[in-house]
Amino acid sequence: MAAVVAFFTRENPAGIEARFLLFLSRDVSTVETRLLILNPDPVFEDRALALFDAMPKVETRIVRTLSEAVYILMRENFDLFVVEGESRVAVGQATNIRQHFPSLEVVCLVEQTQDATLREEALQQNIELVATNCSDRQLRSRLRRIVSAFERQSGTPAEGIDPCHSLVGNLNQFSAAEILQMSCMSQRSGRFTFKSSRGNSEIYLHHGMVRHAIYSSLEGEGAVAEIFRWRQGRFYFEEGIISQVQTVNRPWTHLLLDNLQKLDETVQLTSAQGSNER
Amino acid sequence: MRDSTLETQIRLLTLEVENWKKLHDFITYALDKSKPIISADQERQFTEIRALLLQESEHVFSQVDLVTELSGKTMNVLQRATSIRGVRELSAEETRRLEADWNGVFTRIGVVQGQLKGRRRDLLGRSFLSMSLARLFGRKAA
Repeated sequence: MAAVVAFFTRENPAGIEARFLLFLSRDVSTVETRLLILNPDPVFEDRALALFDAMPKVETRIVRTLSEAVYILMRENFDLFVVEGESRVAVGQATNIRQHFPSLEVVCLVEQTQDATLREEALQQNIELVATNCSDRQLRSRLRRIVSAFERQSGTPAEGIDPCHSLVGNLNQFSAAEILQMSCMSQRSGRFTFKSSRGNSEIYLHHGMVRHAIYSSLEGEGAVAEIFRWRQGRFYFEEGIISQVQTVNRPWTHLLLDNLQKLDETVQLTSAQGSNER
Repeated sequence: MRDSTLETQIRLLTLEVENWKKLHDFITYALDKSKPIISADQERQFTEIRALLLQESEHVFSQVDLVTELSGKTMNVLQRATSIRGVRELSAEETRRLEADWNGVFTRIGVVQGQLKGRRRDLLGRSFLSMSLARLFGRKAA
């Protein structure tokens, strides 16, 4: 408003223009929301892609196959995974991704969402279904609503590591599986905190057993599975902090074997992509 | 401010470059005689990339006014490289031509992609109103 007043009171029109334009210019250095979009035909079936392109502060990466998507998700961090395509195929692919990346937000853009079994399946897997058989305007506002939910969440968490923590380290030197194995073997009780660009997560140990794990909205084994995949970030251990909540009931060895097997399956999905690059 | 046409052009060129690079990976593999025997799966992936390039190149180039310049070279590459095995069996002269044509297309797409990204960066610093005002005052926006 102040800039508009100045527009009418200043005498020099060039100065006014410059000031007004300065007022209007936006800060483009803010964090972008990163989307990974799986679309088998992104050149000719690009309605939603064009809408995403027009959104400010949104960075999109497009892949054509599921194996490419898994390959990239293993290496990079995305706020949202979007699957486009024929309803059954798209929900199937989204379900597959949900199994391997439990904390990732997944949205399915399908022609119609009337099919009850499809809706049920999507609901069970916590996949958001968005119908594309509507006007551009309606679709744009739906997609904008979905993307805007992530704008406030973006950002790198603070380090906050205290030098008196009993164990501090880097996940690119020791994986979560290795340090948890070591702590469980030595019957530790306390809290592990993992910090990475994906966010913060905590795992509570009690006499060498994983008692509770939390990451974002995930709790229990899902959160443990997520932390297993992290290859970047820092961790520290605080001795003696015990969780009142118990969300993990299985022994550590079972968790370890299950999660390593799951990780192998995820890597297998990318094998087609890998052979491409060799 | 974001220009939807510009964004579409950048997206299409990025996809084209990706496929063009994948094709190069296969050609390089084929030309390396020390690599092991070519599998049916590799041939299938190669055909997949080739099919995508065949159906999309013309459309992508028409969006960025490069059809006349690049269409011929692209077709030369795609017609010579019929399969990985076929590339391995090309004569030295044909291989040289294949690589020259591939490089010609890749270089031109890369240059245009850079130009479009530069234009996008310029536009991002401006708002729609500032652009309109700049047009009104007949000067470039700050």
